[in-house]
Amino acid sequence: MILYKKIYVFILCFIMLVALSGCLGGREINDLEIVIGMGIDKDKDTGDILLTAQIVNEKEAGGASGEGGGGGGKAYWNVNSIGKSIFDAARQITHKTGNRLFVSHNQVVIFGHDVAAEGLQKHIDFFLRAHEMRPTTLILVAEGRASDIMDAKPETERFPAMNITKLVKTYGFTSHLYKVNMKDFATCLMSGTSATFAPLVTVSQDRENKDVFVPGMAVFKNGKMVGKLSHDEVRGVLWVLGKVESGVVIVPSPDGKGKAVLEIVNAKSKVKPEIKDGRIIFHIKIEEELSLSEQTTRENLATVPGFGKVQEAAGKVVRQEIMAAFERSKELRLDIFGFGEMLHKKYKNEWKIMEHNWDDIYPTIELDIHVDSRIVSNDLLRRPASPDEGGE
Amino acid sequence: MGTDKGKINGRQLLFMFAGFIQGSALLIDFTVGITEHQTWMVILAGLIVTIPFILSYAALAKRFPGNDLVRINDMVYGRFIGKALSLYYIFFLSMTLSFNILDVGELYVNFLMPDTPFFFLLSVFAAVIAYAVYKGIEALAKVSHLFVATSLFVIITTSVLLADQMDFSRFLPLFELPFIKLLQGIHIMSIIPFGETIAFLMIMEHMNDTKGPARYSFFGVLVGAASLLIVSVRNTAVLGRTQTIWTSPSFQSIRLIDIGTVLTRMDFLIGIAQTMLIFFKCSIFLYALTTALSQLFGLKSYKPLVLPVVGIEVIIAATVFQSPVDHAEITQNAGIIYSAPLIYLFPPLTLLIAKIRGLPKTERSRGK
Amino acid sequence: MIFLLMAYALIFLVNVPGLVKRKERKELVVFFILYIIGFVLGLMYALDIPIPSPMKGLQYLISDKLGLKYPQH
Repeated sequence: MILYKKIYVFILCFIMLVALSGCLGGREINDLEIVIGMGIDKDKDTGDILLTAQIVNEKEAGGASGEGGGGGGKAYWNVNSIGKSIFDAARQITHKTGNRLFVSHNQVVIFGHDVAAEGLQKHIDFFLRAHEMRPTTLILVAEGRASDIMDAKPETERFPAMNITKLVKTYGFTSHLYKVNMKDFATCLMSGTSATFAPLVTVSQDRENKDVFVPGMAVFKNGKMVGKLSHDEVRGVLWVLGKVESGVVIVPSPDGKGKAVLEIVNAKSKVKPEIKDGRIIFHIKIEEELSLSEQTTRENLATVPGFGKVQEAAGKVVRQEIMAAFERSKELRLDIFGFGEMLHKKYKNEWKIMEHNWDDIYPTIELDIHVDSRIVSNDLLRRPASPDEGGE
Repeated sequence: MGTDKGKINGRQLLFMFAGFIQGSALLIDFTVGITEHQTWMVILAGLIVTIPFILSYAALAKRFPGNDLVRINDMVYGRFIGKALSLYYIFFLSMTLSFNILDVGELYVNFLMPDTPFFFLLSVFAAVIAYAVYKGIEALAKVSHLFVATSLFVIITTSVLLADQMDFSRFLPLFELPFIKLLQGIHIMSIIPFGETIAFLMIMEHMNDTKGPARYSFFGVLVGAASLLIVSVRNTAVLGRTQTIWTSPSFQSIRLIDIGTVLTRMDFLIGIAQTMLIFFKCSIFLYALTTALSQLFGLKSYKPLVLPVVGIEVIIAATVFQSPVDHAEITQNAGIIYSAPLIYLFPPLTLLIAKIRGLPKTERSRGK
Repeated sequence: MIFLLMAYALIFLVNVPGLVKRKERKELVVFFILYIIGFVLGLMYALDIPIPSPMKGLQYLISDKLGLKYPQH
């Protein structure tokens, strides 16, 4: 009996040693090629996919904390490889790196202009399906080639990819662009009628400095890039979607001699679709709160009538931005506001019929816009620094 | 009297029911492909449809105290038909157990440890549940409340952390899908999570509560169903349309948690909670299966059967389906159809016949 | 393969001595039946012999023969 027990325990331990000694999928940190940004272009010669992966170079990144700008060398490494598909290119990178890419920390995917014009539908699948990719990865479109953007060494950040991520995540400061991640992109792709958009990014050469900035947003139809939206047009869309966080609204001052510059503190929107007599009307109500941040005229605007006029003017600006965006969308025949989906949710029976010719029906939509602006503060000045004119 | 001398009390039964149903959270993820944004409705409907049947299980247990399903079948239907019926149940239990073991394997292979050989994972897991079952039902009952508490914590925390990404207009339009899809969804929802609690008929005999298991099973099921509902609502509100394309919507919605660059990459939470729950569910099934087998053959104890049965189950789990597509297609069609009579037809029938024949004769003095 | 043999050896050792000692014949018989089934199945798996799947059989019966299935989408 005791012998049996001994044998039993022995075999049990052996099995446990084998079966439980760590998982085979483990990878040491030194062996990881941590990717923080990816760029997809079309290779000029063969037409295949050119994948650029920005990998963290731990030796450089770990040590000096950013001082010694020129001396320390780059903290990152842009590897590229060519393959017939994105997954293929990603595996082929092992010809150069000797290790599979570890994409869990990937912050951003930039698609080159040529790839975007051709259509992103076929490339998105990899990013959604891969185990390690996260749906929170941001998407951007480069105005030229993605590999150029990835090369632009930023001033205050160590990695171009992190810099770009920061640029997009802080969209709220101007509300001139919007943050789009994989999941949002996929949602728009899945909707037959809504257009997708993604931020554009360019590099501009300014003497020796390369500056990366976002000039607007790209709009897609069925995954193909068909146009661009300027900053104001983007904000027009964001007003309607209720996603405006902060930004600057410039209004001519009531006396015509200068400008009143307002900062958006808060903005809300309520959109109600309505089908009446065969016409589709969207009732849009925007409520915004502003603060008077700068005025260039000598007259004091911080008075009740002054505020009233400025508020009215601000409301006009909002309406202009929305209409500009709407006109542009009509021009491009794209439903960038998602009006189709809003109709779908409320009028599902009518939608079944309308869905198919939505592209034709869309330009006939009427917008009924009401803007309610309120100036809630005038920062730290009660009146501008100018001599008293007239009485106060 | 059953071969396991352990006793469980009412509150433990409640937690066991709740944990059991919560364990199916990832299983119902695949119904999203069928019912899309109306999954929450289907969960509610499934609950309402199955509650009477679950109560009938409890009624059976109360009527025949200290007897489990196999014995009850023998008593009500006679030795031959009773044993045939029990065999049908045993087949169901063994198939379902193998599906659940397979699901744990798939969870790990797809999301958590993609390179580890499948078979090893299954075997290790099987060894653990074998050990748990060996220790007896009382051991399982005593830890059940821990599992339920942990998974509730995970579900609620993830839902709260995702609150800013939720958009409740994604539930509209409300009644878009054709009824046949909803029907299939309700059928699936009613059998998996809720109907499978029939396994508890092998356990309820150990209760030391004289009031009967009905109220505990009812509330346990409610807690479990509420958890499933929260998960489904969270997934639909966060993912919207894209819900239908992911293999596991729950996973992807948790991956979206991104707060202050610190609270990111929380998928491990779901790994922990789900592993615990499926472990629990499998242990219950294994216990039910081995006790049923031992009763069928009139053995004194279920314990020697645990290991060989688990060995068979692992092989079945590894070979029963050829691909995930196969898995989905079979469980959504043939799987729920063959198990339907076991859940909808036989328990109430057994109850009815027992009532008519005035069984069990020892307890009640009215005869026929 | 080795794993299989060791696992089954282990199962044998854990259960059989106790059963033999207590002279529980019925238990021993049922145990062995299940044990052999498991072992054979395991062997087939290790040798890559295809194992027929009961669910496939059920699917054939129910979905194909009786036609009881939900429409595919």
